Amino acid sequence: MRVGKIITAVSIMLVAGLMLFGCGGEEKKSAETSKDTSPIRVGGLVDLSGPTSSVGRPYAEGIKAGVKYVNEQGGIDGRQIEFDLQDTAYNVQQGLSLYKKMVNTDKAVCIQGFGSAVTEALIRNLAKDKVPNLSASYSAHLTDPKKAPYNFFSAADYSTQLRATLKYFRSNWKEDRAPRVAFIYPDHPYGLAPIPAGKAYAKELGYEIVGEANVSLKAIDATTELLPLKDLAPDFCWIGGTTPSTSVILKSAKNIGMETVFFTNIWGSDESLPTLAGADANGSYSNQAAAVYGQDVPGMKVIEKMTGGVPQMTHFSRGFVSALVMAEGMKRAAANGPVTGEAIKTSLETIRDYDPMGLAPLISYFPDDHRPNMAVFIYAIEDGKLTFVKGEILDRRAEWLGH
Amino acid sequence: MQGKCGLFFTSYRGEAQLFRSGFQKLMIGLLILALLAAPFVLNVYMTSVMNLIFISVIGAVSLNLLTGVCGQISLGHGAFIGVGAYAAGQCTLHGVPFPVAILAAGFITAMVGMVFGVPSLRLKGIYLAIATLAAQLVLEYVFLHGGEITGGSNGLLLEPPKMFGFSFDTEGKMYFLLFFCAAMALLVVSNIMRSKYGRAFVSIRDFYLSAEIVGVNLFWYKLVAFGVSSFLAGVAGGLWGHYTGYISGEQFNIGLSISYLAMIIIGGLGSVIGSVFGAIFVVLLPEVLNGLANGLGSVFPDLSLFLVALREGVFGLVLILFLVFEPEGLAHRWGLIKAYWKLYPFAH
Repeated sequence: MRVGKIITAVSIMLVAGLMLFGCGGEEKKSAETSKDTSPIRVGGLVDLSGPTSSVGRPYAEGIKAGVKYVNEQGGIDGRQIEFDLQDTAYNVQQGLSLYKKMVNTDKAVCIQGFGSAVTEALIRNLAKDKVPNLSASYSAHLTDPKKAPYNFFSAADYSTQLRATLKYFRSNWKEDRAPRVAFIYPDHPYGLAPIPAGKAYAKELGYEIVGEANVSLKAIDATTELLPLKDLAPDFCWIGGTTPSTSVILKSAKNIGMETVFFTNIWGSDESLPTLAGADANGSYSNQAAAVYGQDVPGMKVIEKMTGGVPQMTHFSRGFVSALVMAEGMKRAAANGPVTGEAIKTSLETIRDYDPMGLAPLISYFPDDHRPNMAVFIYAIEDGKLTFVKGEILDRRAEWLGH
Repeated sequence: MQGKCGLFFTSYRGEAQLFRSGFQKLMIGLLILALLAAPFVLNVYMTSVMNLIFISVIGAVSLNLLTGVCGQISLGHGAFIGVGAYAAGQCTLHGVPFPVAILAAGFITAMVGMVFGVPSLRLKGIYLAIATLAAQLVLEYVFLHGGEITGGSNGLLLEPPKMFGFSFDTEGKMYFLLFFCAAMALLVVSNIMRSKYGRAFVSIRDFYLSAEIVGVNLFWYKLVAFGVSSFLAGVAGGLWGHYTGYISGEQFNIGLSISYLAMIIIGGLGSVIGSVFGAIFVVLLPEVLNGLANGLGSVFPDLSLFLVALREGVFGLVLILFLVFEPEGLAHRWGLIKAYWKLYPFAH
């Protein structure tokens, strides 16, 4: 019965079509304009699983705590922030579709981002949708509003971090000869990003660049890569990796008896490094952009109270700061009208020397310059603890923007 | 009643038709109409998921032509898609019109694919897999160290596609472009499969010695398979790059190659419709699991974090279950469902 089959099929199609209709078209209501007490929606795109989740989770907890703190203090002009945390799993496609859902369906006006792959894949979408993204990917090219108008972050970029430590070591250099520096980094966008800037500035400061080596983020031994470097006898060695690869490098260096001062970037060392590398971690320096747990700053009192005295990693503090900066932008936006993504962006650009309760260096954004600051907290690992050494501040040079 | 009680053909031409019955043609027509109407009905998020599916369909069907039809396994498909993305990106950045850029990306990728396809003359199976894995790693290195051409670690920023003054700058507009390209890719591959080339591919896959004995030039046909497959991969890459507006080497890693292999295994090797099912399945699975994790998360707040971590495991589990219980993929299941309804309600 062919006709019967066709009728059955058409009716199935109709039912399917109706179901499609049922799925679509919902949630068209706008959350931001109707009432003053409606929550302000913020999407969180953080790696809670995958290769970077060990730092993503404490960072996300920090944002959550920051949002909770802001809400407890009365929110944004009487409105609460509703933070929707989702896992991107270091996967661009996943991040992209989560973002579309947050911005289009859930009407999020701001994003708290995390990893570089997802953050960079979203640059164009953010600008199109006019939604600012406060990320934890500190690549320098995200600070140039000409390229990434809606991208912000609240720590000095990777290049600035490297430059600041180079400056610190140079100013404490006592010997007559030029200090020798070497760079160790993974062959990965994140590792490569600050290297040209670091080399140029090292030359400018009068360093002798003796060599470089590639150590993978997944390395389990770095002896082969370090042996040639050992013969070049660098005084300082930059490690641009993540905490696990840093610990591998530190241990291998100890094994082959390499005497040098190691310094790492922001993701290259944290509270877990002494656990991973043991005593070999002692004496290495670390760039950080936020206070460590227990440091004597007003913001840490708040964090200690909220976490009930359970120590948190410095990534937690940075997430907390990111939420505070976002809230500051929202407050300024709320004072001038509705809190839209565009208003948050322009308000963030009016921030000058904002103090996130001492948890991070003072933060400013300009319409043509999204570098939050040129300041880095330099820590040394002593007896298995991150010990504050100095806050190093560089000039805000125009030619460094985006590089 | 009609004279014939089923489909039978009196000519090869008849048998080789893409759509054999009037009912099939009607259903395809209705499906196309439904898909054309979809962006007006679906919300932006769902449209964006559809767009991701379309791009994946092009990538999956191109890999299926190479791996499923011609039997040449490729672990470098993700990198070939990347080549297309960079090539199309560089073209449009230099003012080449978008349609030309996409075609150019296809040809450039075809060239690259054929270069890496050369070892396929001597290598088979696992050895070819390793050779194409090398292609993946070499190309990833090139993406990262390509200087101005690939933008190095900074990647490339691209504008939305523009055609004849019309800018595809929203999800809805992109939908029609991607739908058209995906439909074209499916049509091209379906047609190749029923041509002399398609039959040669299948003969190479089934037994290369027999193929050679009946006069199939192995080297030439394998190269063509690599070329056509890479061409479509390049098109998929060019569309992906212009759809997201940003390309970096990280996006085209070995994980992408594996996820495309997963698509054709789940969908069904050597089947065009299977590629479509596989692409839909692999794109939708994380979305569904995400929805599930969020839904359960609101009931058990602490559970959502564990569910999030479980998701990767679930993906792996689904793959294993497919290999065990549905080795011929979703296409086979689709055939069974069709057969069931054909005889409904009197299955004998």
